[in-house]
Amino acid sequence: MDDTKKRAWWQAPWGYKESFAFVGGLSLVGILLQLTTGNFNFMILEFPVGLIALLLVLVLTGLMVIRHRSSFFGWFSGVPMSVTIIAGVLFFTLIMGLVPQHGEGHSHAHSPLGFDTVTRSWPFVLLYAVLVLNLSMVTARRLLAFRWRDYAFYLNHLGLLILLIAAGIGAADLRRYVMHVTEGQTEWRVFSDQGDMLELPLAIHLKDFYMEEYIPKLAIIDKQSGEAIPAGKPQMWQIDTVKTTGSIVDWKLEVVDYIHEAVRNSDSTYRHVPMPGSCPAVLVKVSNPAVGFERTAWVCGGNFAQLYMTIELNDHLNLVMTRPEPKLYRSDVIVYTQSEKTIPALIEVNKPLQVENWYVYQYSYDSDLGKASTTSSFELVYDPWLPWVYIGLWMFIAGSVLLIWEGNKKAKLKKDDHLG
Amino acid sequence: MITWDSFLYFALPAMVLWAASVLVLYGRKKKSAAVSGSNGDGSVKVLTDKQFSVLSAWLTLAGVAVFGVFIALMWISMERPPMRTMGETRLWYTFFLSAIGLVMYLKWKHHWILSFSLVVASVFIIINIAKPEIQSKDLMPALQSIWFVPHVISYILSYAFLSAATIAAIILLYQKDLADRSLVRLLDNVVYIGFGLLMVGLLLGAVWAKEAWGHYWSWDPKETWAFITAAGYLIFIHLRLRETKIHRLTLWIVIFSFVLLMITWKGVNYLPAAQGSIHVYSNE
Ligand code: HEM
Repeated sequence: MDDTKKRAWWQAPWGYKESFAFVGGLSLVGILLQLTTGNFNFMILEFPVGLIALLLVLVLTGLMVIRHRSSFFGWFSGVPMSVTIIAGVLFFTLIMGLVPQHGEGHSHAHSPLGFDTVTRSWPFVLLYAVLVLNLSMVTARRLLAFRWRDYAFYLNHLGLLILLIAAGIGAADLRRYVMHVTEGQTEWRVFSDQGDMLELPLAIHLKDFYMEEYIPKLAIIDKQSGEAIPAGKPQMWQIDTVKTTGSIVDWKLEVVDYIHEAVRNSDSTYRHVPMPGSCPAVLVKVSNPAVGFERTAWVCGGNFAQLYMTIELNDHLNLVMTRPEPKLYRSDVIVYTQSEKTIPALIEVNKPLQVENWYVYQYSYDSDLGKASTTSSFELVYDPWLPWVYIGLWMFIAGSVLLIWEGNKKAKLKKDDHLG
Repeated sequence: MITWDSFLYFALPAMVLWAASVLVLYGRKKKSAAVSGSNGDGSVKVLTDKQFSVLSAWLTLAGVAVFGVFIALMWISMERPPMRTMGETRLWYTFFLSAIGLVMYLKWKHHWILSFSLVVASVFIIINIAKPEIQSKDLMPALQSIWFVPHVISYILSYAFLSAATIAAIILLYQKDLADRSLVRLLDNVVYIGFGLLMVGLLLGAVWAKEAWGHYWSWDPKETWAFITAAGYLIFIHLRLRETKIHRLTLWIVIFSFVLLMITWKGVNYLPAAQGSIHVYSNE
């Protein structure tokens, strides 16, 4: 109704045309800044500038609250403006999704318009800031006329607002480093992206690195090329101690015995020895009735300590075992902080350790040694804004779950209108 | 022990049941046309309209149940949720699409919802038979997380709802005056559900990424496209807030957003932007 009424440009109430002009103009300013000054430097948002930017958003929102009847603020915190800003952000993220992006510290960025570094380009940063401002005003406006039944709205918009602010400003204060530690040693130095050595307020002593592996698979490879058959569409057969029979192409396989942590005896047999140098071995019966082949023998993938074992099927083909994939790896550590705390911990993928504003992640290990690796790498992330990120994230998640029911309510409400 | 070898024994019966269900729906329509042709002489009817609907719903449900049993048995025999490979995710897509199609049919009574979801569900079964992509991969440590299952399920559910929304938008575009209010209501409702699930999937992904990879958002190509998709649906939802009669442009936004969704799901790997990317999702 309101958006079909004829009116001239810039005549109140402002709507989509003016919003488009604003977002377009802002993007243009961003592009000009990009052309003249290059990428936006996030480091200027480092503490305390980020807080000042946040304060500015709050002050402007406060101004809107005081003058909330003004037609300017009505427009600036209205649906057309929101939709247009989201569309603007969508436009630049679309560029991000289509043009290969370069990471931080990449010296030869090619696009003068910042299309290959969109998140650090001026138009994107300006639109992001205006989105935050608009979202903050939208939310404040709704809070002015507080109603309990708008809970989904508050959770979604407030949650997203907190998330956008904490993630945006947090990007400037975030630090990530990788630290390599050897068993029995204590480490506190890391290398930055630029290759400089830094000393952290945190030291890690590695007591033990532990790893478990999955049961490996069997494959048949062409001796010449080393490729698994059938070429281009290799079949791997998962060794299984319950469903013991299977096949690869026309070769029938049957598991007779399987030892997960095996060590070879002096002859070509294996026995169970749980030690770092052990590796999986399987006693397998392989047959091919069509060519009258049948053999039962041990197959082993081998590792740094043990030779591999294969079964020769014919002049071209060998039955081999694949490298086992990691199932779990974990570091038994003691973390020391500057405040003289001593924290024993087990750090595992998906189970990071939090120490003050630092998060310690299991990152990697010496993959050549696998299970026998005596080094472990950790990623250390410093993110003082993270608690706010989590608050925003969980509010937003709750709001999204509510949205699933909310839609039903909406459909019922619209049923009663007379216009549709 | 159930393996992929037994897939056909479950997939075929499910498809037969669904085909029967669609035939019953369609047959009922023809019958009532014939009946009204003969001046509404109800005496030739074997079953009433209502009974046809109920029969159709039961047939669908039986198919869903058969398929659900297969998924459950696979889960038990693999000792991990079957969500790792492309073929395994298609199982869930088939399952949820048929189940949701049934629920939405019971709620809104649009025949196209049921037949569309059953046809698409069957197409996914046929793809799984023709091109299984089931090379069993063990779960790498980063995927062993309590967020994994809810993350994937929300996304797949969301895809199913948003596909239905897209069909509704296309049907509406074919109408001259966009006046089918019940269909517009369905569209609004289904987008809210689909978008809510999409955001849950995305945000749980962020929570998980923080635990597994150290940061909640890295603008990896997949994340970038998920963001773009969310923005598309966000525009639709907010446009609708001030709309009384739906505009054609608004309907096109639903279709456009679905294209973005498909790019996020499948297309990202083919885009130049993904080629140079640091693979956030692999640990090596
Ligand atoms: C990206 C930033 C966003 C902006 C700028 C924005 C802006 C707005 C505006 C201006 C309104 C109208 C408020 C009013 O009528 O007083 C609104 C309503 C609404 N928004 Fe957003 N929004 C954003 C994000 C979201 C998100 C992420 C969701 C859902 C997850 C969402 C869901 C809604 C809903 C459901 C309403 C209707 C509320 C109601 O009528 O009770 N919005 N939004």
